[in-house]
Amino acid sequence: MADKSKVEQLVGWVDERTGVKALADEAMNEPIRGGARWAYVFGSALLFLFAVQVATGIAMTLYYVPTADHAHASVAYIQKVVPGGALLRGIHHYASSAMVILAVVHLAQTFLYGAYKQKRELVWVIGVVMLLLVLGFGFTGYLLTWDQAAYFGTKVGTSIAGEIPVVGPIQQKIMLGGTELSTVTLSRFFTTHVFLLPLLLALLAGLHVALFRKAGPAGPYHNKDDKKVDRFFPKQVFFDSVAMLVVFVTLVYLAMTMPAELGPVADPSSDYLARPPWYFMPLFQLLKWFPGSWAIIPTAVLPAVVFGALFLLPFLDRKAERNPFKRPIASLVLLLTIGGAVGLIFLAKHQDRNNPEFAEKLKKQDEEAQAFFKTPFEPQLIGATAAMTGASGAGEVAAAPAAYMESCADCHGANGQGEADLGPPVIGLAAKPKRTAEDLLKIMEDARAYDLKKPMPASFPDISEADKKAIVEWMLKLK
Amino acid sequence: MSDHQSTEDNNERRSFLGVLSGLIAAGISAVLGVNIGRFAVSPALSAAGAENWSDLGPVGDIPEGNPVKKNVVVSQDAGWGKFQAQRAVWVIRSGEKVTVFTAVCPHLGCTVNAKDDVFICACHDSKWDVAGTAQGGPTPRGLDALEYKVEGDVLKVRYQDFKQGIAQKEVLS
Repeated sequence: MADKSKVEQLVGWVDERTGVKALADEAMNEPIRGGARWAYVFGSALLFLFAVQVATGIAMTLYYVPTADHAHASVAYIQKVVPGGALLRGIHHYASSAMVILAVVHLAQTFLYGAYKQKRELVWVIGVVMLLLVLGFGFTGYLLTWDQAAYFGTKVGTSIAGEIPVVGPIQQKIMLGGTELSTVTLSRFFTTHVFLLPLLLALLAGLHVALFRKAGPAGPYHNKDDKKVDRFFPKQVFFDSVAMLVVFVTLVYLAMTMPAELGPVADPSSDYLARPPWYFMPLFQLLKWFPGSWAIIPTAVLPAVVFGALFLLPFLDRKAERNPFKRPIASLVLLLTIGGAVGLIFLAKHQDRNNPEFAEKLKKQDEEAQAFFKTPFEPQLIGATAAMTGASGAGEVAAAPAAYMESCADCHGANGQGEADLGPPVIGLAAKPKRTAEDLLKIMEDARAYDLKKPMPASFPDISEADKKAIVEWMLKLK
Repeated sequence: MSDHQSTEDNNERRSFLGVLSGLIAAGISAVLGVNIGRFAVSPALSAAGAENWSDLGPVGDIPEGNPVKKNVVVSQDAGWGKFQAQRAVWVIRSGEKVTVFTAVCPHLGCTVNAKDDVFICACHDSKWDVAGTAQGGPTPRGLDALEYKVEGDVLKVRYQDFKQGIAQKEVLS
């Protein structure tokens, strides 16, 4: 066909100037000793997941705002309003867990196959660093929604970092950007999550693959059918593609059937029961058993031992033997470590279920999160007070009644604009459908009957009926 | 080396697996691409300008003669927020007759200023007379008048944005 020759001409033209064909040949024709295998798909699947995270993550920054006063509203907007937002956020959410799982599987397989041996030490060490980065992604990404779980989870997480001897307090301050979890913390978690970690991971992944290609795939551990050699293309490429498809379909399915959660906005004054994401659960469970100063065992000693051992592994274990069945101690240690971590996760869940106090509180928190999730999106009001007081001298609203100033203004603001973390704005309350004066009176007593997330606190002051009516009349005038 | 027949089989198998891999890659890219595309584009296309009638206070309070600059508060629906923001307008009153111009220059969107009874855009030196008719500079048209009404004795203006850089006045929506 004439078209084909045109295409070939174009490819030839580009190739002459770039050498792209030689590059593609080198990438595609890598020999795989012992033949292509399903067992080798995990590295490619991880690279694929990273690409998915980059694509969905960049998309979300179109609407996401990394400040404490807008982050939650912007995530709710992505989740509830923007077409495709729930799907992309869901994929990003589940892919983060998938990365942890596949990274551990990839590491375990490399360990069991002894594939870190024979001049592959650096490939292994870089891989361990990347596992730490993946956990760092999880830790920094968790805060970005600024909902209850995010806020309190990160509060605990940074406190744990602060308990590490000597460097702890300074480390915690640097993480928080001060002494408290604040909008500055959110900014630095955001910067770390979307700029620093991706850059580092991309560089290390490139290095990981380059060094792996230089050393060549280790092949089967028994070294028997070494005569059989496949090229990377097409068989292993096909296996890898199928693995990516399975991963992707799973992510889409999870994102569509169980949307990524988003609870109510962080309320630092609440007694929220913090629980970490599942991959930090083993640490969380261990913390229960090491009270006081013993806590450094799970927070510092144990992670240092585990990752120290992982880093040193290829330098300590220098025997040529790769068969996992002929390295029973190494294999057993690995299986016990992973089994132990999984066991701790289940134990933590089990204890939460069987402690009536926790179970009830967690259930209530879950219900609140569900309720918020189902409420339609409400845009955040920005600059409403400026509009009300009338920058042009127009649109002025009468001052709030004295009873309001005395009993309500501390939390809802002198102009009804609301106060961060204390009370929502009452501006706009009257504008919602079915909000007559009578309804507003009832909301003061029983907010839940109107599907409002939270009733006012139990310390709700006594206000006379006449004062209540005056407040309602004033609220009706608020725009 | 294998014989001719099996080389051909091998090639066929190669291209078959290659095509399958390509289809998988294309399928995943399409699902991600379409969703990222509509995520990025559709809120931009479906956004509608809000109808903003803003108070300018009692008509009688506006001095007669030269243009008077007033700020109006407009509500802007933008993504996750409802933003109340100020916009500048020019009001000219002579007796009962009122004219309100947006202060946005129809050329490239700078803020139009007034010196006595001449409107000037300092960015690119466009000029208009007090009736808003272009009197020089790169402006493609006269100043954009805004709809107004008087309710009771209060002057209200409907703030709108107009397309810049063209000879006709065209509402942005």
